[in-house]
Amino acid sequence: MKIADKNTSAVSLVEKSLKRIEETKEYNIFTFIDNARALEKAKKIDEKIKRGEPVGRLAGVPFALKSNFLSKDRPANASAKILTDFPSPLNSTCAELLENEDAICVGCVNLDAFAHGSSTENSFFGPTLNSKDKSRVAGGSSGGSAVAVALDCVEFATGTDTGGSIRQPASFNGVYGIKPTYGATSRYGVVAMASSLDVIGFFAKTPSDLDLLMEICAKRDEKDLTSLPDFYAESPETFPKKKIGIIKDFMESEKLDPEIKSALEEKVASLKKKGFEIIELEMPTLKYALAAYYIIQPAEVASNLSRYDGIRYAFRSKNSKDLDSLFKNTRGEGFMPENKRRIMIGNFVLSSGFYDAYFLKAAKARTLIIREFNAAFEKVDCILSPTSPNPAFKLGEKVSDPVSMYLEDVMSVPVNLAGLPALAFPLGKSKSGLDLGAQLIGPRRSDKQLINLVKELN
Amino acid sequence: MTEKTEYEITIGIETHVQLKTKTKLFSEVDNDARGKEPNSCVSPIDYALPGMLPRLNGEAVKIAVRAGTAMNCKINPRSRFDRKHYFYPDSPKGYQITQFYSPIIGAGFITLPSGKKVRIEHAHLEGDAGKLSHFDDYSLVDLNRVDTPLIEIVSMPDIKSAAEARDYCKELWRIMTYADVTEGDLYNGNMRFDVNISLAPKGSKTLGTRAEIKNLNSFRSIERAVEYEYSRQKKLLDAGEKVIQETRGWSDATGKTTSQRSKEEAQDYRYMPEPDLPPLNLSEDFVKTEAKKCPALPADYREQFKTSVPAETLEVILDYPELARRLAEVESAASSGNAVEYTANLFASVLLAEENQSLLNDNLPSAAQLKELSEMKSKNELSSTAAKEVFLKLFETKHVNKSARELAKELNLIQENDSAALEKIVDKVLENPATKSAQADFKAGKEKVLGFLVGQVMKESRGKANPSAVQEILRKKLA
Amino acid sequence: MDITEKELEHLASLSNLSLSETEKTGLKKDLKNIISYISQLDELDVENVPPTYQVFEMENVWRDDEIKPMETSREDLLALTVESFDNQIKVPKVL
Repeated sequence: MKIADKNTSAVSLVEKSLKRIEETKEYNIFTFIDNARALEKAKKIDEKIKRGEPVGRLAGVPFALKSNFLSKDRPANASAKILTDFPSPLNSTCAELLENEDAICVGCVNLDAFAHGSSTENSFFGPTLNSKDKSRVAGGSSGGSAVAVALDCVEFATGTDTGGSIRQPASFNGVYGIKPTYGATSRYGVVAMASSLDVIGFFAKTPSDLDLLMEICAKRDEKDLTSLPDFYAESPETFPKKKIGIIKDFMESEKLDPEIKSALEEKVASLKKKGFEIIELEMPTLKYALAAYYIIQPAEVASNLSRYDGIRYAFRSKNSKDLDSLFKNTRGEGFMPENKRRIMIGNFVLSSGFYDAYFLKAAKARTLIIREFNAAFEKVDCILSPTSPNPAFKLGEKVSDPVSMYLEDVMSVPVNLAGLPALAFPLGKSKSGLDLGAQLIGPRRSDKQLINLVKELN
Repeated sequence: MTEKTEYEITIGIETHVQLKTKTKLFSEVDNDARGKEPNSCVSPIDYALPGMLPRLNGEAVKIAVRAGTAMNCKINPRSRFDRKHYFYPDSPKGYQITQFYSPIIGAGFITLPSGKKVRIEHAHLEGDAGKLSHFDDYSLVDLNRVDTPLIEIVSMPDIKSAAEARDYCKELWRIMTYADVTEGDLYNGNMRFDVNISLAPKGSKTLGTRAEIKNLNSFRSIERAVEYEYSRQKKLLDAGEKVIQETRGWSDATGKTTSQRSKEEAQDYRYMPEPDLPPLNLSEDFVKTEAKKCPALPADYREQFKTSVPAETLEVILDYPELARRLAEVESAASSGNAVEYTANLFASVLLAEENQSLLNDNLPSAAQLKELSEMKSKNELSSTAAKEVFLKLFETKHVNKSARELAKELNLIQENDSAALEKIVDKVLENPATKSAQADFKAGKEKVLGFLVGQVMKESRGKANPSAVQEILRKKLA
Repeated sequence: MDITEKELEHLASLSNLSLSETEKTGLKKDLKNIISYISQLDELDVENVPPTYQVFEMENVWRDDEIKPMETSREDLLALTVESFDNQIKVPKVL
């Protein structure tokens, strides 16, 4: 990406970005545009450069924050009505690390409300449109981030990935998206979806850009007790074995779009030419990952959304005569239908009498899935897999049928259950011009190796 | 009409103890909000802004280990936190972070002064809730108390009477204050007791339906509430009615418990493992090190002073850790035997007497001062009144650096015991014509005039003579 | 597994959600489908398998007991609420 220097001013980079944002309004990408503040910061950076003072590693680079990141005085609405009118009083660790490197936030982008969805249709602000076909979905939940990068509104964007929310929209829009190792990046100041699965990651146009962003943001944060000790900078550059696995069940799934399948097969062939050994993996437990995920995730969602009660901040229903109606109406009016489904399911699997049969059982299934990945990584460096069974689907095609929407995540959620890093990368285009994508999945803490391997694949 | 059944009362008690940490359980904010403005000790974490994550206070973990040790409890090396969900304005997150599935403190027991053991089922770490105040048509929320560290101590239903309930709570309060777990300020809610009471016919194998009286915070009200609840439930059962399982509140004013929330519509808390906090896995060394930091407990002092101090005196003193500790210092300082008992008496009957209790806030005499004072008393260098006077004066800051003797001298209270000197004074009095008739009366057998003569000698000695010594000399001389 | 009216009401009250009649009908259908999907797990044998609640290797992560300056002032926080009075959050009377 272009960094501001003596020849390229930060102001010109920001103006270019703001112009693109204006030109692409119809895609409904941004929930908030921060022109004035962005230009003001750009001017400051240019003056620094003129005076020959040192500037950050992302000097003048325009970027977008997914709207579930808190950043001071910007709305952190998570595209949810219940969080409208919430000017954030503080910074998420990630936003702070990026701005400390002189990156310039030009605005906040759309998502499925509270990141509940795989299409960005569940947004209070309406859907974001696919970058290649406006009749199709952007993917989700980080649809705004993916399209903002794909349409050159910004050089990079932040995202969150709980079950595929970075990788699937990245693949739907032909950009690179990294879902780091769980705990590699700090979750502090990012609206929680499902805390044991949530990871903060990035969208960019090249693997090298992702590498730089990880250098900057993959840091131990004392504000997040689940964040890992620093490892990214010191981790090895490449994998040892030159062995890559493919998951038999995924490749042979009749749900897998034929064009994605053939694109993957070409990639496999080229990998063999490059001297990689391809190993077919039997991973029979993975087919239960989605069921386990749709127990654990809604449970944590229901818990994490308990704080949105209209008492202390943001939206409070006007039609409340007493405390009980204040709670019920604020939440009833403030949450989107998909939010409500997940809250209800979450409270179902946690409620007395069902906990053991659902939540506990899912937690045990999670152990089996982790074991299956560990066994796989005995044999291979990493795994090549489709990101999702199909390219971008039509707007409205799945939004009314939750289970078919959930099936979008079938190939992405195992990674989150096991806390693994995964990198989504473009895999060419379909005949109809839609972006195709795949993901590379590695063992915990292999984020850097994944990025370098994808560089090698191109 | 059947004859009245005899009932047996069974009591189990849940105790919330606020830990004396500098900061809250999950945020680096001042934990002591006493006298501070509403919501002045509230971080974005306590306020439960979106994206906020709990930051566990390691000191709370250490204190919990100490508390468990003080109750003879097993410390579970592996424990973790869970979320307990309920909606209420005093609970910003919509859940309380507690330890439901695997608490840090396992089974143990405490021993009451009576010698009775009450078993502890378990105890766990959790965060406190905020405070609501109610007005005519609205309520106000103050979140200062949110996530003040607590341990909740759950007893087994071993308690069998109102008095025993009081003793248990009082002993638990003593243990927690001696172990330096809590400030122990009951008035400010540092310890709160939920008492579960049920009645069953004597000898019956099964327990009756229990009612829970929540949020008691004085030993007196605990005893009264249990007594009231006993008679209330007895009346119901005698009348063939049912006791409903419910939460009841106690009013000191009315001396009654009243129904609050019936457990029929009991809440489903949907406990879930807390994903934002890594689990605890405490090493043996860690537990040992923290256990060692536990100061001497009431039981230790009972053992130490078993022979030297009468039990009832000691129990009075044990309400004040600083007095028990000072008494122990006196014992290690003292050579002679009765210094401890004498000091104990000064504490129990002089210092803790209504009129002197205020002195507890002043500076407590040092072990050296107390030792010397009791020695002077036993050598009759001080009359008991004089000794008390010196004792009380020693609390004054201006005397801190004086020895007991220096102060006694300064106050001119040291008794004249030197018999030669005393005889001179006696002779002087006897030579005084004004006493002649009294002398004659005494010789004639009028015993009571001796008092008058002693008085004269005391006057002559300006109060410093030892009266019993004076009497002896007078008898000798008038024999 | 069918969701009865009563079960739906119970879940709604646990969730503290007011639901319109149309929402209820929709949710009944959706929950039924979702629950039957996640019930696939019954096929999986998890006997003697320990549960996984978190996917990292860390234990005993805690901080020192030291007061630090807050990131926000009381005024910052109370400014976010709809109604505050006397430096407290004002809510409808709690009965």
